[in-house]
Amino acid sequence: MGILEGIGTGFSVALDPTNLLYVFLGVLIGTVIGVLPGLGPTATIALLLPLTYEIEPVTAVILLAGIYYGSMYGGTITSVLLQLPGEAASVVTTFDGYQMAKQGRAGPALGIAAIGSWIGGTVSVIGLTLLAPPLADLAVEFGAPEYVALTALGILLVTYLGTRHPVKSLCMAALGLLLATMGQDLITGTTRFTFGQISLFDGLDFVAVAMGLFGVGEILYNVEQTEKAQAVKSKIKNIWPTKADFRASGWPIARGSVMGFFIGVLPGGGGVISSLASYATEKRVAKDPTRFGKGAIEGVAGPETANNASSTSAFIPLLTLGIPANVVLALIFGALLVQGITPGPQLISQEPEIFWGVIASMYIGNLMLLALNIPLVGFFVQLLRVRAGILAAFALLVTMAGVFSVNNDPFDMWVVLIFGIVGWLMKKTGFEPGPLVLAFVLGSILETNFRRAMLTSGGEFSIFFTRPMSGTLFALMALVIIISTVAGIRRRRQRSRPATPGEEDLAATGTTAEPEGTPGAENTDGTATDEASAQSDSGVGRDRS
Amino acid sequence: MSKQLHRIAPLVLLLLGAAALWGSWSLGVGELSAPGPGLWPFIVSLVLTATALLLLFIDEPDDYEAWNRNALRIAGGLLSLAVFIVLFEAIGFVIPAVLMLLFWLRLFAKEPWRLAVPLAIGGALLFYLLFEVALAVPFPDGILFAGTGR
Repeated sequence: MGILEGIGTGFSVALDPTNLLYVFLGVLIGTVIGVLPGLGPTATIALLLPLTYEIEPVTAVILLAGIYYGSMYGGTITSVLLQLPGEAASVVTTFDGYQMAKQGRAGPALGIAAIGSWIGGTVSVIGLTLLAPPLADLAVEFGAPEYVALTALGILLVTYLGTRHPVKSLCMAALGLLLATMGQDLITGTTRFTFGQISLFDGLDFVAVAMGLFGVGEILYNVEQTEKAQAVKSKIKNIWPTKADFRASGWPIARGSVMGFFIGVLPGGGGVISSLASYATEKRVAKDPTRFGKGAIEGVAGPETANNASSTSAFIPLLTLGIPANVVLALIFGALLVQGITPGPQLISQEPEIFWGVIASMYIGNLMLLALNIPLVGFFVQLLRVRAGILAAFALLVTMAGVFSVNNDPFDMWVVLIFGIVGWLMKKTGFEPGPLVLAFVLGSILETNFRRAMLTSGGEFSIFFTRPMSGTLFALMALVIIISTVAGIRRRRQRSRPATPGEEDLAATGTTAEPEGTPGAENTDGTATDEASAQSDSGVGRDRS
Repeated sequence: MSKQLHRIAPLVLLLLGAAALWGSWSLGVGELSAPGPGLWPFIVSLVLTATALLLLFIDEPDDYEAWNRNALRIAGGLLSLAVFIVLFEAIGFVIPAVLMLLFWLRLFAKEPWRLAVPLAIGGALLFYLLFEVALAVPFPDGILFAGTGR
């Protein structure tokens, strides 16, 4: 199937009234939760997973994807108006966006963010349309060793790039892989780690684990952190930016689109890192970098474009290789697995309506977001009156009822509760749930392919290193581990750690890279962790030198 | 002593890893050419144990948040969820849902009674209609509404 023909199929799927409704619902929910500081896209997607059982697979992915890129728009609103990022990818927008709002230019800041997001999103969908099919063709040749290499690399990169503490994340990834082995062994039929519980014979339910760790865990953590509702003081007017604004934002939007697209494709990439990278670049190429942090429109236009572009292109590795690039995509991956569809190179040929339908829905969704955002900003702002506690109470009830509805089994409710406690404790102790869930989702694929490779090679580990593709991937993994170990040792010596691109700039302003998909409010509400302030100290020192 | 408290988390993980090593070994790791059901869990447990051991020594105490009164409230909230599940199995959805919402709205949102009561009752009924009636989820028979016959 050619690309044009594919796009045709896609639009016929996406323009189906049901799917059109779900794109709209997705981007609307995304924007709303982007605005609400207590709930990020990961928590929301986790909470809505049970719903995806009720609808067609393609509709489910359209809905969840809409929530993801929609939240990138919504997060901007609170960043600009309150210096309170609704989700982590909008943290950098607070630097210049909030300053613009203080100068009475909240309107143009929001306007250029919406327009930039739309351009970034659309450029990225076009890239996805063109790049995904050839990549999938390439991947069809992959055998078991390549899959082991690719999956392991994906997990490794997500643990190293998207998180603050590689070793802690790696530890959580191992725990996730271990949890994935619970239940019946698919090859020999032996039951593993079930402790005699019949409910555990099929393993832990992905939906219950994700809802517990992200839904309940994150809600509890945020209830503990955020205390009161915020009121918006700045007036929003003249949303449509002036000609001068457009001229200033043109190149940042162009650079942001391209950069966001490529960062999104990388495992571990996504909105958070790409917005940081874009901000750092714009500051570097600017004629007068001192304007940044004082209301430079480039500092809003670039990162907002980039985070939207990357949240779209992050679908490329999922749809072509079956590797989720970050936690949000891991949840979408899980939702598809639950429906009996394994995303991978065969997706395009076997389920063209899913592949192309989702892509086409993104064109439509981005257009809807532009239409929603510019006139409705005032309405979204009102949502900030909802108190975190009320939100938490209702979200928890939805979680409990929702997880019961999946298998009609109260056992799953206990699983959610236990993983909720675990998730909350992890947040409190600086372990991140993201790598755990990602590894949990990929666990059985990794194990099956590993065992298949071992069987075909007769127990020789060399099979992983002698085949060109998997050999390269393993070399890459070794490189990542060595570099990060060296950097880690160095860091322990001098206590400054530029681990992710743009983190230096972030550190200079006293924030750290939050994991993808989390609500980003934690670092600006005055309860910044000791670590963040320690970093800002060292960052400021570096800036002066 | 309190300076060492943050080591509890890696220690718990280390014990878990060790237990998993033993568990997967006893499942039978087989040969590399014919992997048993325990081989993969064994490899994974090795990574878990090794990283936990490393963390026991290198992890930074700054990473751990202080335990305060808020944490205690969260523990209360968790307990309320456990009570909800037990009641849910015994007497159906609506009454436990009202109670849980009421508890959370009072404790965490600090809503006054005049707002919390209607919100809790309205919310519980709304979700009952949504899940039991619209989505046909067979909640356990309640004492308030009889099961809808599924």
